Parts: sequence; structure tokens; C-alpha cells
Amino acid sequence: RYVRQLQRLQLLFSPTAADARGARQFVEEAAQDFARQHPDVVLYVSPHSGPGPAPVLRAEYLNGTVRDELVASKTSEEIVQLATKLANQSGLDIIRIRKPFHTDNPSVQGQWHPLTNKPSILTVQGPRLQPQ
Amino acid sequence: LLAGAGRGTGLGTAFSTAPPPEKKRWLRAYLELQRLQAPPQRRSEKPNWDYHAEIQAFSHRLQENFALDLLKTAFVNPCYIESEEARRRQLGLDKDAVALQLQDNTGLAERGQRFARAYLAQCFEGAYPELPAKGIEALVNFLTGQELVSYVAQNLSIQDLALCRDFPAPPDVLQRTFLAVVGALLESSGPERTGIFVRDFFIPQLIGKDLFEIWEVVNPMGLLLEELTKRNISAPEPRITRQLGVSTVLPVYFVGLYCDKKMLAEGPGETLLAAEEEAARVALRKLYGYTENRRPWDYSKPKQGLAAEKAISSN
Repeated sequence: RYVRQLQRLQLLFSPTAADARGARQFVEEAAQDFARQHPDVVLYVSPHSGPGPAPVLRAEYLNGTVRDELVASKTSEEIVQLATKLANQSGLDIIRIRKPFHTDNPSVQGQWHPLTNKPSILTVQGPRLQPQ
Repeated sequence: LLAGAGRGTGLGTAFSTAPPPEKKRWLRAYLELQRLQAPPQRRSEKPNWDYHAEIQAFSHRLQENFALDLLKTAFVNPCYIESEEARRRQLGLDKDAVALQLQDNTGLAERGQRFARAYLAQCFEGAYPELPAKGIEALVNFLTGQELVSYVAQNLSIQDLALCRDFPAPPDVLQRTFLAVVGALLESSGPERTGIFVRDFFIPQLIGKDLFEIWEVVNPMGLLLEELTKRNISAPEPRITRQLGVSTVLPVYFVGLYCDKKMLAEGPGETLLAAEEEAARVALRKLYGYTENRRPWDYSKPKQGLAAEKAISSN
């Protein structure tokens, strides 16, 4: 069955900084809807008072990866889109995929080896029988 | 130091606005080193943790309705209760306050394990009717063994929710907690849904695994002779079918087993004995129906007919 890989989202922002305006609007308007639509993701909203670091959306996945995304100077809709993108990802590292294809069954009839089409030692070839 | 604290929070996240001019250049590197050398902490001790919300999210993630108090007892391990009582005694509380009101998860774990084993044994008996009891037991032991269950539990974030004494939680604790979760599901939703849960999380772990990787068979030839006598087929005659590189360091022999002059199975090997043993294993795989090209597992029907048997077997 499908198990959503995103465990929790932490939105760390400051209530007074100018670049956290989108984050504040997200918390006021869209955060509850997002949490209701994704009941298996725990959403933590933690405002830290005073001038602090930039607003960040931290995503933790089931395999332990923690991914930080800057949300400074983003509108509320952009943050919603970002959050849904993170919710649909798995926690695997985002690296270059070497090949766009993979198969668990590389051979259907059996992989060729040098003895595939050689007849066995035990087959005996005699003279052709005349039809009776 | 206020300035030091400000720099600490600024460096706590990887992102910060332009760093304020520092008094000492080495302070940043020192704080980073402290952060990297700090011992690993439980997630429950780091900021932003709400146990009740996490447990609700856990039940939604698995798409199951749990009775939440049963689920909370399922995460409580006996080692946690002992360590908590010892800590309270050390702090000098009264006898009444020392005794915790929490229940263990050992009962739930036992019930979950019994149910899981019975259900998996039933599944395998239905899917591979030819497989003998020892083979089914080996498969069930592999699936409910410590390694596999603790691996599944880790990837479902049970190690964050489980309450236990040591961190990181040892694999037997994770196995007990996961089986207790299965037991809690059994109590809350009944045997059918728990059966579907066990099927969804345990059986995909068999994908790509060969029968004899899981089941250690010492004498495959003897086992094959027993199986053939049960089916009234004559004893197999081993013959060399193909051979390559006989006089080299790496010879390859293909030995075929013939019953009544018809080929039963063929297997390769480095020496004649190894090839004969491999041919016996291939023959056993064919007889038990556990070849690589068998039909994949059927995840579709919920199997209503087995509900009554499961209810009886889980008691």
C-alpha cells in the first residue's frame, strides 16, 4: 500500500521580518487546509521572535533525510505548491539518475551463456530411419 | 553570552542572512565542530515534537484506524518503564509516585507475533501447497526475524515513536514494538484488516529472494529422493549434459537428473559434485513451485474464506 514518505514539516519563520510575509500569510490562511488534506504529515509552525535566520521549511522523511527549503520572499500560494511538492517526494537523495530505465527481469527466456544453443553430449545422432 | 547565543542560533540552520561581523574568526568553526560532535539524540528530545499528533499521523500514514490508547501502549517497552521507575526513585519520590501507570507492550507483541506467524503460514500453505512444513517454517522465521522486522520498522519511523531505554533502539526492541503495533491493530480492527496489513508489509520482502537463500538445506539430494518417493517416481540418474574447460582451473559442468530417461532438472557447477547438488536444488525448486518464473503474489482478493480460520488460529 502507499505510505507517504514525508513525516513532518517544520515552518520556522519570524513574525516581524519582511521576507517572512508569505510564510505568515501561509500560516494564517492555507496551513490548516494543507494539514487537513494531508493527515499523515505533522505540520509544526514555530515563530521565533526577534531578528533571526531566514524563514525555512524543513521536511523530514521516513528514511531520515532532512531537507531545508528557503521560503523567504515567496507568496502563500508558492509555499503551498512547495509543500505539496515535498509531500509527494520520497526521501531519496536528489542526485543525477544515471539511466532513465530499470528492470528487475532483464531476461525473459534466460540469459544467454556459451552453452545455450549447444546440444548436450548425451544426444545421439544415428542414421535416419526409413519410413516403414 | 548574548552575542554567542545569537551566532549559535544563526548557525543552527544552514541558511542565514549575511552573518554579522564576528569578534573571533574561530568561533564559527568551533560551534560547527560542537554541533557535529554532539551525541545523537532522540527525535523526541529535539525541538518541535508532539507525541499525540505524531501517533495520529502514524495511523493515517498506514491507512489504518487504530484505537489510539492501544497504539500508545504498543509503543511502551518494558525497559522504558524500568528506567523511568529507576529515575524517579533516584529523584527521591514516594512509592506511589514511583509506580508508573503505563502498561507494557509484551502482551500485544505476543498476540501480534502469533497472529502474524499463523497468517503467513496460512498464506504460504495456500500459495505453495507442495512446500513441506519445514520450508514454510523457514520462510515464516525469515519474515518475522529480527533483521527484517527491524528494517521495516525503521523505515516506518517506529524508532522515533517507540519509548525505550537506549538510543538508537536495538533491533529486538524494534521487532517487539512492530509486532505490538500488529497486535494493537488486531484488537482494534479485527483479523481481516490485520491480515491485509501483514500481507502488505511482510510479503513484498520476499521479492527477489530465492528459496534456498532463506531455507538452509544441507542435503538437497536426500530431500529430493524423499519427495520423489512420495510421488512414486523412480530415483534420479545424474548424467553430465554439458561440460566446458575440464582441464582448466575453472571448469563448468552441467549435470542433468533423469527419471525414467526424462529430464527432471539441470544444474551447473564447478565440480561434478557441486553440479549434482545444484541440479538437485533446481529440481526441488521446480517441484515446490518456487521457481523464478512463477506467478507473482496475488494481492487482490481479501480472502474472505480464511477469516474464520484466522480468528480461530489467533486465539
